[in-house]
Amino acid sequence: MKKHNKQTAAVNWPITILLILGCITIFFPLYMALIIAFKQPMEMTNDIAGALAFPAQWSFANFSEAMRVTDFWNSLGNSLLLTVSTVVIAIVLHGLAGYAIGRSMIKSKTYNVIYLYIVSGMFVPFAILMMPLVKQTAQMGMANRLGVILLYVVFYMPLNMMLYKGYLTNIPIALEEAARVDGASTWRTYWSIVFPIMKPMHATVAVLTAMSTWNDVMTPLVIMSGTGKNTLPLAQLNFQTQFGTNYNLAFASYLLALIPILLFYIICQKQILNGVVNGAVK
Amino acid sequence: MKKRWRASAAVCMAAITAAAAALSGCGAQQADGKVRVEIVQYKPEAVKAFEELEERFNATHDDIELVIDSPNDAMTILKTRFIREDYPDIIGIGGDINYSNFLDSDMLMDISDYEGLKDIKESYLRTDKELEFIPYDGIYAVPYMANAAGVLYNKDIFDEHGWTIPKTLDEFYQLCADIEAAGIQPLYFGFKDTWTCLAPWNAICVDVAPSDICSQVNSGTAKFADAYRPVAEITKSLLDYAQPDPYAYSYNDACTAFARGESAMYVIGSYAVPQIKSVNPDINIDSFVFPGSNNPEENVLNSGNDLQWSVMAGCENKEAVYEVLDFLYEDENIQIYLDDQNAVPCKKGDFQLPSMLDGMKEYIENDRMADYQDHHYPSEMAVDAMIQTFLMDEGSDSVDTFLARFDTEWARYNRDLITKVQKFYKEHPEMLTEGGGN
Amino acid sequence: MISKGAQDRKRTFLIITIVTVALFFCFNTLPLIKGFIYSFTNFKGYGSYEWVGLRNYKDLFGDARVGKSYLFTFKYAVVGTIITNIVSLMLALGLNSKIKGKSALRGIYFIPNVLGGLVIGYIFSFFFTYVLPVIGQSMGIEGLSSSMLSSTDKAWIAIVIVGCWQAIAMNTIIYISGLQTVPEDVYEAGAIDGVTGWKKFKSLTFPLIIPFFSINMVLCMKNFLMVFDQVMALTKGGPSQSTESISYLIYNNGMSGGQFGFQSANAFLFFVVIVAISVIQMTATGKKEEQL
Repeated sequence: MKKHNKQTAAVNWPITILLILGCITIFFPLYMALIIAFKQPMEMTNDIAGALAFPAQWSFANFSEAMRVTDFWNSLGNSLLLTVSTVVIAIVLHGLAGYAIGRSMIKSKTYNVIYLYIVSGMFVPFAILMMPLVKQTAQMGMANRLGVILLYVVFYMPLNMMLYKGYLTNIPIALEEAARVDGASTWRTYWSIVFPIMKPMHATVAVLTAMSTWNDVMTPLVIMSGTGKNTLPLAQLNFQTQFGTNYNLAFASYLLALIPILLFYIICQKQILNGVVNGAVK
Repeated sequence: MKKRWRASAAVCMAAITAAAAALSGCGAQQADGKVRVEIVQYKPEAVKAFEELEERFNATHDDIELVIDSPNDAMTILKTRFIREDYPDIIGIGGDINYSNFLDSDMLMDISDYEGLKDIKESYLRTDKELEFIPYDGIYAVPYMANAAGVLYNKDIFDEHGWTIPKTLDEFYQLCADIEAAGIQPLYFGFKDTWTCLAPWNAICVDVAPSDICSQVNSGTAKFADAYRPVAEITKSLLDYAQPDPYAYSYNDACTAFARGESAMYVIGSYAVPQIKSVNPDINIDSFVFPGSNNPEENVLNSGNDLQWSVMAGCENKEAVYEVLDFLYEDENIQIYLDDQNAVPCKKGDFQLPSMLDGMKEYIENDRMADYQDHHYPSEMAVDAMIQTFLMDEGSDSVDTFLARFDTEWARYNRDLITKVQKFYKEHPEMLTEGGGN
Repeated sequence: MISKGAQDRKRTFLIITIVTVALFFCFNTLPLIKGFIYSFTNFKGYGSYEWVGLRNYKDLFGDARVGKSYLFTFKYAVVGTIITNIVSLMLALGLNSKIKGKSALRGIYFIPNVLGGLVIGYIFSFFFTYVLPVIGQSMGIEGLSSSMLSSTDKAWIAIVIVGCWQAIAMNTIIYISGLQTVPEDVYEAGAIDGVTGWKKFKSLTFPLIIPFFSINMVLCMKNFLMVFDQVMALTKGGPSQSTESISYLIYNNGMSGGQFGFQSANAFLFFVVIVAISVIQMTATGKKEEQL
């Protein structure tokens, strides 16, 4: 590990500079989003200079109005509830499934088929599932947040399983076998050895799952409509009507909704980086 | 001619919907003895007006609890609720193809015994009749609010140059030429959003094409190639007076440009006014009817039912529902809506109309109006995109190509409907002669 | 002889698999079968419907609009997948190397993926309609001097640009986590042999992240094939219906329009096509995996 630290000392400046230059492609749109979020509808214009100019006044009025329109704290609560529950269940269930199916695949043809069966679910267009699912969840009494979480867990299963399985390919089976020789049950081996090793992948799965659930409009719209519960993306539909869109409020609201997921990502990134895999494999 | 040709289907449907209603509690008696009436209406922009109306109603009624829901993307929500068999009591939707389809699926209740119908303007009731695929007995919707489309113009620019409102197509072309000569952009289009292609199209249709052309085509008595030729030609001629490459600009771009005085006129509906005013609250907008014909007598206002009430077939408390409707149609309550939204009430009477409709007032008062033709087009046919394609087509035979395509695609997208309609008229030839298709 | 431990392992795996498959079957396969059944009807999404046999499938093959949407979607997906994978792999290598401000840079490159469709649509439409033509004119580039979004030849490129811009974040994350599985000693061994730069990547790093390359290829292809948001945000299928993607047709005509039965058939066919492509992709990369 000492040697590793020595290497980190030498900063690769050319790459750093290139990466910073690449950020311009992100800063330009972000800058526009930001100034539009601060402007008033009257300041909207079609000429470039005007559109890129600073707002006449830096006021957070748009942000507070956007929070009022979207019933921000309630919607945020629902969005958080859906996202966090989905992520937790995904890590537990998909991790287990990826492990069980991934490890069994090595020897068994049946498990190969099962793996491909689940992965193929990734390619089903949501539109064909939508109407039957609306009916099914209603009949099962799950036309609510619980139903949405369950659907997310199933929708993201193929990708997450694929990721866990891919990650496990690089992890030698010897570790588990050693534990087995020590008399540990498979269940215990998973939680005490495999689960911690997969930490960087948990973080990756968490980010990808959270990202998809956080922004999703369609599933809550069709499953939860009529329950009186809104998620942030659902509430944001308020800014768009057929014949008019309040871009200023909408942009303020989108920027607000961006913050939690960005923070979550930064936290997870640290976990991906601090992965124990290198040490473990050595 | 009262023919119960759908009797068996209707009985089955009624049984199913009644069962569903019992389950979902549609118009159901509640524990506190109040009858709950639920409305889902599809205009979220009017949510403030409806919240006020809901509050007023509940404050004055002890026996009925009114709930008005104004969700975003209401059409998706309604369709998913229908799948769940969770029906509201009243739906507030537009008088368009969705209404035709819901009616065709036997989902709506006949409300011809509703007293309030006699106060509704004839042309709007006729509009709803024309939306029926095949003639139905009874009435299935009460028009509430309408919008109007034509030409919005910047009054200050017009006054400054002394331009007057054109009454014929030639006068309109002359006006455009004059505006151009004065160094001002006459028209600005946002054709990147294809639906805006329908604004001039609809406004021209009402002047030069038969209002029931779609029904005529369905019953096999006419072709679009003949009826729509002048419409296509006039629509294309407008491009001469528009900004270059109008397909690059969206509806929002066009609203902004017009609001900032970059063009003198904008062919669009009254619904665009709030968006325009949000950019420039001080703009002085007025409107006039698009003069699609050179005979001023033929020019009528393009106006359609923007919001109308239908009662779901399974609803049990007709009386409570009618009481709610009576309340919504009280003059002062209509005025609450009008003050909040730019709309034309479908009820007869003296209401305070928004000033930007001044130029159309004469037509509204004299009931010289006809519906948007696109209310008859199935959305999956994407007529708006077809018109955009046609406008972008610079070939010399573009009109012929477009019209031929219109007829072929119409037959393809309306196949089941055409079979149904023609079967109906085969069984009831007398209906065909009676109303020329409707 | 099967040891007790191996039996326990087998039984535990079986239980986990059964639970997973049951859940998956109930909320994915079952509705898919129901949707498949609708594809033999003229169902509008509500109300009554009739059985029409194979008519929807026959129509699919004769429908010019569907054919055009397949062409557009595949052109878009192939180009998008290639660009996204190249860029995000480079980005992942860059972000994983010894650089300053690593966390901040990683955070910034993540943003495109979480900006809402409305924001993306407005800003990029503005860019393509107003900004880019001015740049094109001032640089004297004919092809860029008018809006890309109003040209039937170029609108798809604009959608590719925005699609990649958004997709790169997700693929980069997957590549970064893949790079974490490359043990440090591999590099050390390589360093001793004097292997650096492109050669190091080709012979040492890349073989080890092939499982992630394969996931990214499949995932990327699938996401690009199912393109919907970018089309809605930028062109809504225009100009002249040149950018109508398959998902756009399925959603717009099936859900918002009255073609639910027909578009169910389209969706099912589409599903079969994507599965076929992915199987080919996975066997191809799988073989490569084995070779190494």
